[in-house]
Amino acid sequence: MKNRLRILRAERNWSQADLAERLEVSRQSVNAIETGKFDPSLPLAFKLARLFNSPIETIFTDEE
Amino acid sequence: MQCYPATKAGRRYVYRLAPTMAIYLVFLFIAQWSFHHLHPTGLIVYVLAVLPALPLIGSLAIVGLYISEESDEFERSILVQSMLWGFGGTLAVSTIWGFLEDFAKAPHLSTFYVYVFFWIFMGIAQPFIRMRYQ
Repeated sequence: MKNRLRILRAERNWSQADLAERLEVSRQSVNAIETGKFDPSLPLAFKLARLFNSPIETIFTDEE
Repeated sequence: MQCYPATKAGRRYVYRLAPTMAIYLVFLFIAQWSFHHLHPTGLIVYVLAVLPALPLIGSLAIVGLYISEESDEFERSILVQSMLWGFGGTLAVSTIWGFLEDFAKAPHLSTFYVYVFFWIFMGIAQPFIRMRYQ
């Protein structure tokens, strides 16, 4: 699933490790989600949405 | 590739597994030494024979605990996928070896090796599964 995590992260000047720490997941998890190779669960997507203060659908898109 | 577990649950998994495997080695030594030197009979034979299997069964419970405790869904997914490869590889090798024993007079392999094969296949699969997500 495509997403804007890299952009949102860059806007805040966060590294993948910074985001991982805030989400309480591994850096590999952040990388896998960011590259669109691993789709997060709904709870984790909501956590991301809260963290970036954005609706889920503006972070993730189901378009190929 | 990262060798040290990235999550708290992963570290707990290693801290639980390491002493369990050490206990296995101690129990294995006790069983082997007892059979070699004490020549036990009766019920004690069964108790001693099963003794080394107990920590190994414990290790499977530790894997189960990890899956239930791991809050990082990606890491959990990696382990579960590795386990599926472990189960699949073990079943494949056991099936092939079974037919080789039946038809091709291959030497008998103790069913204990099912446990070993599971970990080998799981261990081999894990880095390849991780690579798919990089």
